[in-house]
Amino acid sequence: MHNTLLIKKLAGLFLTLTLVFLGSRPIQALEVPALKGRVNDYAGILSPATARQLEDVLKNFETAESTQIVLLTVPSLDGASLEDFSLRAVEAWKLGQKKLDNGALLLIAKNDRKLRIEVGYGLEEKLTDLVSGRIIRDIITPRFKEGNFDQGVIDGISAMMDAVKGEFVATDSTRRQNRGGDPGAMLIFFLVIFSILGRILARTPWLAAGVGAVLTPVFGALALGLGSLWILALAVLGFIGGLIAARMANATGGSSHGYWGGSGGFSSGSSGGFSGFSGGGGSFGGGGASGGW
Amino acid sequence: MKRFIHFGVLIFITFALSSCGYNSLQLKEETVFKAWADIESTLQRRADLIPNLVATVKGYAQHEQETLQKVIDARAKATSVQLSPADLSNPAAMQQLQAAQGELSSALSRLMLVVERYPDLKANQNFLDLQNQLEGTENRINVARQRYNEAVEMFNGSIRRFPESLTNKFLLHLAKKEYFKADEAAKVVPKVTF
Repeated sequence: MHNTLLIKKLAGLFLTLTLVFLGSRPIQALEVPALKGRVNDYAGILSPATARQLEDVLKNFETAESTQIVLLTVPSLDGASLEDFSLRAVEAWKLGQKKLDNGALLLIAKNDRKLRIEVGYGLEEKLTDLVSGRIIRDIITPRFKEGNFDQGVIDGISAMMDAVKGEFVATDSTRRQNRGGDPGAMLIFFLVIFSILGRILARTPWLAAGVGAVLTPVFGALALGLGSLWILALAVLGFIGGLIAARMANATGGSSHGYWGGSGGFSSGSSGGFSGFSGGGGSFGGGGASGGW
Repeated sequence: MKRFIHFGVLIFITFALSSCGYNSLQLKEETVFKAWADIESTLQRRADLIPNLVATVKGYAQHEQETLQKVIDARAKATSVQLSPADLSNPAAMQQLQAAQGELSSALSRLMLVVERYPDLKANQNFLDLQNQLEGTENRINVARQRYNEAVEMFNGSIRRFPESLTNKFLLHLAKKEYFKADEAAKVVPKVTF
């Protein structure tokens, strides 16, 4: 049991070191503010009614198409470059769904009189630099010059949505994220099951194999929410795993203290109770356009 | 006691394989190659825009033949310099590519300055579109370059760090990669304002 304690200590040490290294990154000018929702009006240029309306429209758009469009307004860039700040914002917020990269940001810096549309990889086909540039030039800035921020933002966001409409359709996997376990967690999960099984049924390997073949798919389905094809594979895996575990437990004397003698506490990520908005893990490559008024 | 020894050996092998960096070094090198491919595609994107841009400007600014020709020549030269993954470790090859691309950047920024003298051109929808595309491409080049340099930093750092340094010295023999340095002239282009 001493070596598990040692491993735990070492793991703790490595974790601390990792945190130290991660923490020593250079501090950048002008922090990216918190993602409050789809409308982040930190400069206060929108009327409350417009902000609410936009939030609803963008929320419905994401529900239907999974595409995430977000507005950020800041009072000032504090000397930061518009393009640099914009990219840092989308990298921090990870707008768009993972793998689809269907996120876009409309950034407005009020006192600098600058704005930018930042486009995720997945939307670059439709919301090209050219289209983004036209939206800024022909749709948004004429309204901004009149001082009508509400109308400019509404028209601009509408034009962005029109440009990408139909590009993506929301599916189950984009609505419900974190489905299925990751391979690492699954491996640990099966090791725990097999070692327990092995200890209990050490004397009867074939029974262990049978129990493994039944229990593994059942656990897989209940705890990890895996599909039918997985169930089949798990049954085979469980059979072999049970057999091996029992044989191994037999060979090592069938002691009740296993190597994996911790608690089998296993949860497949947090779900439920979360009603806020967050980016889906999309990535950006600097596409889009900038402008000013 | 025997099983503890077995277990210890198992743990040792796992740790040895995962911490010596045999896999992670190759993964980091792959990241560098991928980041470089991104740079190349953005550079290609810029080169593809230029014929269209030159044609549009030509229609309005016949007197700027010299400036236009410089852009065309610089583009031809820049597209002729390509690096293979092995060249990423070759300072001279990287230097050559940076020089060629830098020349294209400065030729482009000179063209954009000249354009200031032609109000009709500046109001032309086609030109404004091209300008947006060019700015977007320059921005993409910047982003791709930053990411490439970060990947190189990670890779170069780890081949010098113990114990990966030993793995690399005796097993992998991966070479240090060159940075794609920021080109001051390239930064001028997106800053053209009306």
